[in-house]
Amino acid sequence: MKRSKIILSLILSIVMAISLLAGCGGNETTTTTAAPADTTTTTAAPDDTDETTTGDEGGDGYAGDLTLMHFSTSEESEGNGGSDGFRTVIAQWEEANPDITLKQTVLANDEYKTQVATLASAGDLPDVFLLQGMNTKSWAEQGLIMDMTDVIKDSPHYADYNQAYFTPFTDGDKLYGLPVLTGGTCTVIVYDKAAWAEAGFEEFPKTWDEVKEANEYFTANGYKESIAFGNSGKWQMNSCFLSTLGDRFTGPEWFQSIIDKGGAAFTDEPFVEALDYTGMLFQSGVFNDDFNAINNEDAREYYISGETPAFIGGNWDVSYIGATLLETDPELYENTGFAVLPQPEGATGSENSQNIGLGYAVAINSKLAEDEAKLAAAIDLAYYVTGPEFASYVAENYALGGLTQVSNVDLSAFDQFTQDFYNYSYVDTNACEIYDSYVSPAVWDVLNTELQNLTNGDTDGATVAQLTQEAYEANY
Amino acid sequence: MLTRRPPLRILIGYLLIPLALYVFAVFIPLITAAFYSMFEWKGGPNKTFTGIANYIALIQDKIFWLSFSHNLYLILLCVIGQVGVAFVFVMMINTRFVKLKSIHRTFGFFPSTIAAVYVGFIWLMIYDSRRGILNWFLELIGREDLTQVWLNNTDLVMTLVSIPLIWQYIGYYMLILLSATSSIDKEIFESAELDGANAFQRSIHIVLPMIKNTVIVCLVLCVSGNMKAFDNIYVMTAGGPGNNSMVLAMYGYKVSFAQQNMGYGSAISVGIFVLGLLVIGGMQLVSNKLSKD
Amino acid sequence: MAEKVYGMTTGRRVGNGVLTVVMNTIMIIFSLSCIFPLVWMFYSSLKVKREFNADIIGLPPNPTFENYAKILTNKDYHIADSLINSVRTTALSVALILLFGFVVGYILARVKFRGNRVIWIMLLMGMLIPVHSLLVPIYIVFNRTGMNNQWYTLLFPYIAFGMPIAVFLIHGYLKAVPVALEEAASIDGSSFSGTLFKIIMPICKPVMVTIAIIQTFACWNEFSFALVLLRDVGLHTVPLAMTQFTGQFSSDYPKIMSAMLITMAPIVVLYFGFSKNIIKGMVAGVVKG
Repeated sequence: MKRSKIILSLILSIVMAISLLAGCGGNETTTTTAAPADTTTTTAAPDDTDETTTGDEGGDGYAGDLTLMHFSTSEESEGNGGSDGFRTVIAQWEEANPDITLKQTVLANDEYKTQVATLASAGDLPDVFLLQGMNTKSWAEQGLIMDMTDVIKDSPHYADYNQAYFTPFTDGDKLYGLPVLTGGTCTVIVYDKAAWAEAGFEEFPKTWDEVKEANEYFTANGYKESIAFGNSGKWQMNSCFLSTLGDRFTGPEWFQSIIDKGGAAFTDEPFVEALDYTGMLFQSGVFNDDFNAINNEDAREYYISGETPAFIGGNWDVSYIGATLLETDPELYENTGFAVLPQPEGATGSENSQNIGLGYAVAINSKLAEDEAKLAAAIDLAYYVTGPEFASYVAENYALGGLTQVSNVDLSAFDQFTQDFYNYSYVDTNACEIYDSYVSPAVWDVLNTELQNLTNGDTDGATVAQLTQEAYEANY
Repeated sequence: MLTRRPPLRILIGYLLIPLALYVFAVFIPLITAAFYSMFEWKGGPNKTFTGIANYIALIQDKIFWLSFSHNLYLILLCVIGQVGVAFVFVMMINTRFVKLKSIHRTFGFFPSTIAAVYVGFIWLMIYDSRRGILNWFLELIGREDLTQVWLNNTDLVMTLVSIPLIWQYIGYYMLILLSATSSIDKEIFESAELDGANAFQRSIHIVLPMIKNTVIVCLVLCVSGNMKAFDNIYVMTAGGPGNNSMVLAMYGYKVSFAQQNMGYGSAISVGIFVLGLLVIGGMQLVSNKLSKD
Repeated sequence: MAEKVYGMTTGRRVGNGVLTVVMNTIMIIFSLSCIFPLVWMFYSSLKVKREFNADIIGLPPNPTFENYAKILTNKDYHIADSLINSVRTTALSVALILLFGFVVGYILARVKFRGNRVIWIMLLMGMLIPVHSLLVPIYIVFNRTGMNNQWYTLLFPYIAFGMPIAVFLIHGYLKAVPVALEEAASIDGSSFSGTLFKIIMPICKPVMVTIAIIQTFACWNEFSFALVLLRDVGLHTVPLAMTQFTGQFSSDYPKIMSAMLITMAPIVVLYFGFSKNIIKGMVAGVVKG
């Protein structure tokens, strides 16, 4: 009994040694014997009975593997219209291109980012993947991603593209990706219209002074605070607050100059004012006292449970709040309204701005240039998943918009909550930029960390601005 | 040590495969990292050789040294809390006064098998300021003045994130120490004529020297493990508020991935490795001194 | 071993009783706290996401097995494939860690040769490597040698990073075992290898069991290497498969916990079921010095 175990172990170690040697001798292109369970392993049999119905720009000239990485997990697609639409159109494309074996690697967003960063470092990116705006410049410089300027101009859907969505994926006059998934706001105030009416505000206050006034009413009437916010993940303060509040102080030209390295600095007076104002607001008691210890998922529960009469978050929070309230508290669902951030005193920018955009774009590995047929297939896939099929799917099912604009979205089939949010996102407000879709991740990591110190009252705006500027100069 | 050494070819035969594998998976990546640490490298094919510039930056990097001080604090707490408490528990289990021995032996190990996310969740609910158990308990005993947003307290946060880590790994060291005491005659623990206090003292005096080597292994495991501490703290605070609970491994990860500064991130990894060696070396010096005295 | 003789102390019955109560209370509280996560994960898995988010610690208001049903019926989650991958990787890794750790640990503890100390320090260094910030070099090394993304890929890091602990524990354990046993065997004509596997290995059973337990859970739960070294979904291990339940802005924790319980069930049952035997095994291995 024991001896057989030992022999087994010895055999295994020999097998290991052999595989080690074999592995060393092998080259970089390795094929696996295990068939991926997630991807439909369509046999690449040469039958062209099933002519492609969609996107036949050149996709049918190629037979073989095409690797694709994204983060639309099946969990993500439940309730997230963009992901659902993305998975749907990928499946459609696969079906229309039976000669191509689409090898998908689907990971949750955090893990996706880690793996893509690793693959980029090793120069080993998949054929097609989703590019984050803030990596565009650095990866373009390194030659990792293909220049898609002409590809985009030649797109059959070019006329319908919302040009504003391309800016994060632009370097100079070159474009590096087709913005993907759905455009959604990153900063929205979700509020209980009834509660605020009781506090004397028929609609959400237009100034922060009025919010503070309301806060006195709320704290005297059983609420702990007026607005719930969660920032324990550190990115929330940047994406879902400062990005918009900063725009109110600096205006869009300042941030454009930061992107273009046109002379603007984080230490410029208006931005420092925005930082100090943010610090002051979070110290004022308007927000929940544990905003730096909980994340947005906890904070929105304060709103859902009725503990707090308003919440600040992004479109992903709105879809969760909507779906939950519909089941648990239809009355609050009916009473929920959406508002832009109130205007800070002394701010001179647009009063009606909110940051909206598409954070990711379909990018193509620059190595594909060597294989024309494969490249044509990749481009066809990129057109398809960002094209009208996707746009109509998310518009009809979720009242969301993507890169390709669909005319005549019929909102009447949707309820008030959905209509209101659609109008907030795409119609009634001015768009401003999402800071962390641009520049460099190194800058935002420093700023985000310092924002926690700032909102805790442990540092001041000038210091935060200084540290951010140093990271900007060193990394961008 | 054996007096008669086995033939060299047998030794080589036994050591070759394990060590070759070890060098391949552990040392070559480390050497690769040391190589990359000499470059400015933003993650991609382009690298610029900068010599020791990254290391100069590292020496001046306040966050790196702040993180190191957090690691040292964590090590101190965990040596006492994990290995120390585990040793006491093992001694207690081995006396005849403690009942349900097999249950304690079996259950204790369980927390170290659960992913950090879930341990983090449970402790977040203990510390949570509104729904948390700690504040609820303080209110219950009438000390509402002590309730606070625990994980936002910059002075306390390192201690608070250490507690789950300590609790989670007590059973791990218990298991190791129990296996070591299993080679010791049971009667040492269970002599019927002794009362509790004396039995306990006696086990420490007699047992500790007998399992000294395993205790040292535990200490080395504990120190090296806490030099690399990452998951639990990442889940609970992500190093926040600000950098008040930042630790070395998390900082290295953040620089490499969140900031995509692979060159500097590699320098940080090498720095962690060197500091780890220094800490372990220092620990061995101290323990040699102590055992000589 | 020097035996000190302690004098009998009398009249301490009361002190004794108090001490017994205190010791038992401490141990019971500790053990209960250790099992709580399992209990919590189980009853949380009977909630739906909404209920969990609203109240993380509370009991499920409407217990349901919906999550389990969903997991077992949805092919996207590839639970079965990932289970097979995890079982294979874990079993092979643990077997080889035990074998290598035992052999190397024994040689380091008993054989004097040049390089003994060097190997010892090398293994120690391995325990100080911060894996999370070394993922990129690790990936590059594996990629260059063509060994990433294979069914056997993970065996390398798992064995290599599991070996030092095994070596140290075997080494520490053997230090307390008298060398006379092997000397005697050697005089009787037993070869080095014969002594190693026939005489020493049975003695080391308690510590080998400990190593097996520790490494089984370590390999089963390992995430970082699996994340960067595997790309094919068909090769994913259980912890990677679990990421399918996580979205960019929300995670379905009750569902993840159900999946975790399903996937952990085999080893947890094994662990609890055999813990009695394991402990018996530990006691059986006693060598009196």
